[in-house]
Amino acid sequence: MERPATPAPGAVKNVALGMLGMFIGALIFILGITVGVVLSRPGGMLFTGASPFASFGPDFEANAGIGVAAGEQKGQLNYTLINDVIGRLRTQWYGDLPTNAQLTDGAIKGMVNALGDQFTQYVEPRFAKILNDDISGSFEGIGATLKQTSSGGIQIVRTFPGTPAEKGGVLAGDLVEAVNGTNTLGLNTTEVAALVRGPRGTEVKLMLRRADTARPFEVTLMRDRINIPLVTSKMVGDGSVGYVSLFDFSQQAGQQLNQQLSDIMAKNPKALILDLRDNPGGLLSQAQEIGDVFLKQGTFVIERDYKGNKKVTDTSDRGIAQDIPMVVLVNGGSASASEIVAGALQDYGRAKLVGEKTFGKGSVQSPQTLPNGGQLRVTIERWYTPKDRAIHGTGIAPDITVVNSPEDAKAGKDPQLEAAVEYLLTGKVPAPTPIPTVAPTP
Amino acid sequence: MSRTEKGLVLAIFILWSGLMAGAGYIGRMLISPIELRTERVYGAGNSHALLDEAWDRVENHFIGVVPSDTVREHGAIRGALSTLNDRYTSFTEPQPRAAERDHMRGSFGGIGVNFVRNDAGQIVLTPRQDGPAAKAGVKAGDVLIKIDGVALAEDAPLDDVSRIRGEVGTPVTITVKRGDAMLDFTIVRQVIEVDSVEARLITTTLSNDAQAVIGYIRINSFTERTGKEVRQAVQSLHSQAAQAYLIDLRDNGGGLLSAAVDVASEFLKDGTVVIEKKRNEPDITLSVGERSDRPAIEKPVAVLINGNTASASEIVAAAIQDYERGPLVGEKSFGKGSVQLIFDLQDGSAVRVTTAKWLTPERRELDGIGLTPDVTADGDAEAQLNKAIQTLGEAIAAQPR
Repeated sequence: MERPATPAPGAVKNVALGMLGMFIGALIFILGITVGVVLSRPGGMLFTGASPFASFGPDFEANAGIGVAAGEQKGQLNYTLINDVIGRLRTQWYGDLPTNAQLTDGAIKGMVNALGDQFTQYVEPRFAKILNDDISGSFEGIGATLKQTSSGGIQIVRTFPGTPAEKGGVLAGDLVEAVNGTNTLGLNTTEVAALVRGPRGTEVKLMLRRADTARPFEVTLMRDRINIPLVTSKMVGDGSVGYVSLFDFSQQAGQQLNQQLSDIMAKNPKALILDLRDNPGGLLSQAQEIGDVFLKQGTFVIERDYKGNKKVTDTSDRGIAQDIPMVVLVNGGSASASEIVAGALQDYGRAKLVGEKTFGKGSVQSPQTLPNGGQLRVTIERWYTPKDRAIHGTGIAPDITVVNSPEDAKAGKDPQLEAAVEYLLTGKVPAPTPIPTVAPTP
Repeated sequence: MSRTEKGLVLAIFILWSGLMAGAGYIGRMLISPIELRTERVYGAGNSHALLDEAWDRVENHFIGVVPSDTVREHGAIRGALSTLNDRYTSFTEPQPRAAERDHMRGSFGGIGVNFVRNDAGQIVLTPRQDGPAAKAGVKAGDVLIKIDGVALAEDAPLDDVSRIRGEVGTPVTITVKRGDAMLDFTIVRQVIEVDSVEARLITTTLSNDAQAVIGYIRINSFTERTGKEVRQAVQSLHSQAAQAYLIDLRDNGGGLLSAAVDVASEFLKDGTVVIEKKRNEPDITLSVGERSDRPAIEKPVAVLINGNTASASEIVAAAIQDYERGPLVGEKSFGKGSVQLIFDLQDGSAVRVTTAKWLTPERRELDGIGLTPDVTADGDAEAQLNKAIQTLGEAIAAQPR
């Protein structure tokens, strides 16, 4: 049975649902939420305890020790302060008071937020129900990735080409203020992803706020199946460098990458580029298969859990590209399984990392269903690179920093890829981007 | 403030616009602690059992450090308040609440020192003239090392220095470094007042070449002392022959509601200042306090406003506008039309709760709308001031002699 790897990120969720399929099993993900295709992936949300993917559930749960009686009741407070506050609201608040259940949902969220871990989340029952019930919808969505900003807003991280989000004009950086009329204030990425996803052919309305527009505006998108190729490959650098891009670490990732890489290796490239940019992660098993392709035998990843246990996973020394010079492209959207692979390749000096600092999602969440139907996703495990560097929270810094600006994207340019090719063919490292300075006055 | 008052209700507040500005207070209501504890409805229906269960899961499984019960309960309160979807209903931790309390009172128990952090990261003191610290011998340039025997951490946040403050009449011992010497001073805290009002005379030349004298009153915030400060300012400016009054409410985010009524009462003859509209209770009308000896009520008035003029400031400006007492000059105001009450909780934290909307004397609702100036002056602060002076000058010239 597939072992869940990393669930998702609080921060960025992938909205892309479409992918789910792939993920099934999985869980590594990342980013906050994926919505989009929405959805789910990353967060792993999908994969929660009572979810359709029950097969994974048990494994996970066993892992977490969940499902067992909760142990000693040490969590009791006398709630003097909160009782006082609720009493004041009942007599003084100007508006309609929410129900006790809603207040309780808010209180649980607030307690969980006090942990300061964006990946430990509480999903209200109404959203947990969607996640648990809606199997078909989880394969379909709008093709975008979400994250939560530091001020709590829900923001689009990226949209994928050819998806409803991209075709509908949704842009990276847009803040999602409402979904089908439901305000996203106070919701986390998992919950917003649940609102966005749904069966193909149905409409979803997003109220978006964009930096350069005065007022929020609404877009209506038709949900669709998100078909983004898992692996793409080509030759670059005048045909001498092989390039392989991996969309995520879903079920077929290792197999498809091996197939396409075999074709590339048959062309005798001088060097390879593995593109993990905006790859939100997926299954740990797939990460390991891909690590096997490039690494000789050795530690691949270290996991530590809440009980203090440490588990070391090794690579298998059976890969088809263990010696060829190599660059891994990474950026702030490279998360979870991507960071495990990139971190291991960097630790062994097997590849140079080119691009921008990675996301910093190296943890596993255990989804637990509460008696009210809400879902608590608790971070139970963290990952470390072979040299025992923490991935969680810090991310992995590239060896060669190259930033792709929005202007580059608009102009169809990719300075990160160009720098990788240049480095592989000539050994040259691009000069750092000059910082504009004011000339000293004579 | 006395300890017995803590935990009781404090003030009605008109919020502030997101600037840390102030609020308005309509007065104090005392609610007995016993009553506080009778509100147990929320706990029924297993709400607390769920909170306990959720936290139990966290404590049993979370890989990181689990915070204290206090942090947890504060978090729960924040979360419960967020379900109201009201940006003005919020929770305040004990320390910022203490600072806010001092701010609204316009005074605090202290020793009268100002401090800055120098380039070396040290806290350098400057005693206020004739304040308790100056009288005790603290000198400008002394570097603060300890408060009550406890050393300040390097790079201690300036908030830490607020430990110098405390109840009036209690002593605090500070250790300072002066040159190579370490000196201890034990100083009894006294009331240190913070002015919210600045006033001066402005002389201007009218179109007929005559000179006119305008009393300029800038109000920075509406604190418990503001009404009195404005009254004294008016008396002083009047004694210096002010012919008109310019009230500057730019960048004033509000404060106590009672202070807004007091300030309006210096310039309006009589009538309603503001109407408080509660949800299930009759409206509350707050009226001009009709004292004798109010020299400004017959004189021309103008009010300067901008986009940061909010809340209590808007109450004053709106009343002046509704009664056509004088023009509002400047830019459209913020539009904060709700009233908050602050409830202090047992541990020194507080919740601020929106309890009412307020309406102008003409029953206009300003929330999210703001006040439109009668004389528009955008941009440059100096140009706005000059426009206001010119407008008042015209009003003075038009007065019957």
